[in-house]
Amino acid sequence: MKLAFYSLTSCEGCLTTLITKLGPDLEGLWNNFDIDYFKLVREPVGGSRIPKADIAFVEGAVVTNLDREQLLEIRKNSRFVVALGTCASSGNIAYTASRGVDLKGRRLRDVEISEAEPISSVITVDYELSGCPVSAEEFTDALLRLVNSIEPVQPDFSVCYECKMKGNDCLLEKRRVCLGPLAMGGCGAACTSVGAPCFSCRGPAAEADLDAYLKTIEKKGVDRQRALMLLHMFTGKKVKEVLKNEQ
Amino acid sequence: MSSKEIIIDTSELRFIEGHGRLTVKISGKDVVAEFHNLEGPRFLTKYLRGKPAEMAPRVASRICGLCYTVHSISAAEAVERALGIKVSKEVRDLRNVLYLANNLRSHMMHLLYLSIPAIEGLISVLRMRDKNVFRVGSRILTKATELIEIWGGRSVHVPNVVVGGFGAPIRRKELLKSVKDLAGLLEDAQGFVRYAMDLELPDLERYRVLAASKKPGTYPIYSEDAAIALSDGSIMNGQEYYEGLEEVTKEYSTSKHVYFKDTEITVGALSRMMLNRRYLSFGARTLVEEVEWRINPFLVVKAQAVEVIHYMEELIRLGGELADVIMETENPAVCSVVDLETAEGAYGGSKGRGVFIAEAPRGMLCHSCEVEDGLIKEYRVYTPTAVNSMSIERDAVELVKRFRPIGMEKLKFILEDLVRSYDPCLSCAVSLDVYG
Repeated sequence: MKLAFYSLTSCEGCLTTLITKLGPDLEGLWNNFDIDYFKLVREPVGGSRIPKADIAFVEGAVVTNLDREQLLEIRKNSRFVVALGTCASSGNIAYTASRGVDLKGRRLRDVEISEAEPISSVITVDYELSGCPVSAEEFTDALLRLVNSIEPVQPDFSVCYECKMKGNDCLLEKRRVCLGPLAMGGCGAACTSVGAPCFSCRGPAAEADLDAYLKTIEKKGVDRQRALMLLHMFTGKKVKEVLKNEQ
Repeated sequence: MSSKEIIIDTSELRFIEGHGRLTVKISGKDVVAEFHNLEGPRFLTKYLRGKPAEMAPRVASRICGLCYTVHSISAAEAVERALGIKVSKEVRDLRNVLYLANNLRSHMMHLLYLSIPAIEGLISVLRMRDKNVFRVGSRILTKATELIEIWGGRSVHVPNVVVGGFGAPIRRKELLKSVKDLAGLLEDAQGFVRYAMDLELPDLERYRVLAASKKPGTYPIYSEDAAIALSDGSIMNGQEYYEGLEEVTKEYSTSKHVYFKDTEITVGALSRMMLNRRYLSFGARTLVEEVEWRINPFLVVKAQAVEVIHYMEELIRLGGELADVIMETENPAVCSVVDLETAEGAYGGSKGRGVFIAEAPRGMLCHSCEVEDGLIKEYRVYTPTAVNSMSIERDAVELVKRFRPIGMEKLKFILEDLVRSYDPCLSCAVSLDVYG
């Protein structure tokens, strides 16, 4: 089976997470699959051409014309495309940050810059693994499921579930702006466990209920404007899904 | 492009962080090199404008997936300086350890995956004849990542670094275990580093001014009061250095180049080695004798290899010292976090400017910010890659001029190795994008 790993506009933190977390086990991945494209790990087969692959993992958002062209080629040559990480699945901070920047003011010679988009704005995506960065365990789980023709799943619970299981004090109770109730779990409540509020880097949870959340934080005296600002930060384009009931 | 003929075009560079390209042209009698950044901007520093100051470390972390810790610590420091917040010595010591662990991780990533296989002419590190090089290297890499996880709360984009200190204290038991594990890897690491030290590298000596942090008696990486030294003998404080930085826009690159007072300077592991090598740790100092250090960019690989041993030895030493300080229970001195994200905004009314400079894996990194009424007004990040861009271009020209007789096909590969030896990070560099 052929795998390919691509990187569009991003910090490349998702691919480095896979590389460092797999560590010496990367050899196992290498021996069991044909990996024809994996930026940072190997020279691509066929130079700059996009090889045929059974499963393509794509990290990064679409910002440049080169991203867009490469992504279309990837779709054409891959049977199954997985968005790897939050940039690819929602556009991440770049989605919000690139809006309102004067991109017409300056023309570059070879690169055209447009507002950041998740890859699903350009091509059909078969599966999304979110997270900033993506979780190596979830990647391995998804890969094993996909090669066995089983649909992979991402957690349907919110960050609060794992946070409570760890016995952390609730940050909302301390009147800090935490997006835990809206955010997809599976990160092991990494941020809230060190006392940093959740910024929902994995996108909205299946059970996210914005109205209920806003009512709750109002009762606790947490800043609503600030919460909505943070919600736009990582949730990128997906913020529309969460906000659809919000007037 | 009639008068200018492209003689070498690397197209998209292999084995570097981000998307880049290098072209060399003949223009009349001149040889001209252009180092293109093709990575798209993500406008992270622009996003910070108007946001509460305490968000800076979290957002800055997303600049890079290899040196995120360095960016988040630098952001926290810049904001602290802008607001006049003083952090305790314990916080600084812990940040120093985190900084070293990040530099170790980044160097291992670069040596193991990016530079060594390419120098050896291999398609991947997994194709190396000596499988042990990969296995040992990736174990050190994984261990460095684990260290970051213990200190930072997650392996990539650490949430534990906050303005004012750390979000949660580090547990002594975990700290001691990680130090012990690292000490167990030191012997294997010697073997790995030996491999890098024995590489045969091209000779491309070219004079230019080098720059690195300098503090008497130490090999400064993260230090609150280190000065900036240039190899021409001048020495200055961080503010003076910052004021000398100039942003230059290039129409072929999504990121700006950075000059220092209108001239070229080079930062990075080689500059640190040239200026500070006598203060390396014991094991690293014995290695450093083997190389005749000259201003040859290809030697960066060896400088990084020496630093790998230095970082490991320093981490083992500092980790041991810190473990004595940190108690299992919460130590308020370590966990000196202001309750930042309260609804009212902790820094409402406060204002100021802050600059922080430290030695990131690829060289001196400078974060600067201006805060007004607790909100960020302006945020700039001068990355080592942006500073080194001019040197990369000039070295490329020099290389082509000197080695032209061997033919363009062969030269292309050496040219790629040259760019790679600077360990450029284009995702970082693009934070100084050309828009606005």
